[in-house]
Amino acid sequence: MASTETETRQSYLVFACGSSWYAVPAECAAEVVSFPELTRVPGAPGHLLGVFAHRGEVIPVVDMSTLVSGESEPTRRAVLVRLTRGTLALTASRVAGVSQVDGRLEPLGANGVHLHLRGPARSAQRDVAVIDPEGLFDHLSQGS
Amino acid sequence: MATGSRSITGMLLCRAGHDRVAFSAHEVATIESPSTFGGRAGSACQAFGVCTGSERILVAASGEAVGVDALEIDSEPLALLPAPALLERVAGGSLRGFVQVRGALWPLMSLVHFGRFLAPSAREAA
Repeated sequence: MASTETETRQSYLVFACGSSWYAVPAECAAEVVSFPELTRVPGAPGHLLGVFAHRGEVIPVVDMSTLVSGESEPTRRAVLVRLTRGTLALTASRVAGVSQVDGRLEPLGANGVHLHLRGPARSAQRDVAVIDPEGLFDHLSQGS
Repeated sequence: MATGSRSITGMLLCRAGHDRVAFSAHEVATIESPSTFGGRAGSACQAFGVCTGSERILVAASGEAVGVDALEIDSEPLALLPAPALLERVAGGSLRGFVQVRGALWPLMSLVHFGRFLAPSAREAA
């Protein structure tokens, strides 16, 4: 119990895609970008919208709304999440900023992407799903 | 993050509907038309979720083939950007990277592996 409460005292970048709010550890959130027209990738799943070049790196863009709820949310903004294995862009229709998150970090589901979303948690009176970036990366890698 | 790129020369820049794919020219043994091609080829369009007829069939020396709508040959050296790790398994692992031409990214595919990836779809369509 104590460990989960301590973990939620980290700083997170809080953003929304559609009606859902997400929190990603601030140390992984490199920047918020407006991305250009994307290049679609053959054979990619529907939640992988395409790629764009950013500072010499090819960045895949993941539609969080399609990934989590199956419903697309058109936006041209994304949060760049930088991991040692690579960078991915998570679509964001709104960005609330960096804040702390209160709550627990239990998986919100037993399988699929929900296994890598943690909660129940709240930030600035919003319900947020805390993203486990490494787990999400693994999930997306297997799904593509 | 390391973003090293290397140069590649001799590309076939292809259209698949509204989308783009590229192949290394040295992988292409022949370019045929659907009427003369004796084998069975999947269309690159299928990998983008649409299905149209192909105007040209790119055939590898080992027999794998991919249909495209249009193509142009580019002999200039192009920077090859590495594929993101997240995409290693996409299209049956046939994505080799991306080339940037006139400001646009083109997915560089292995003709052999992409042809194999598309082959089951070709069988279903038959």
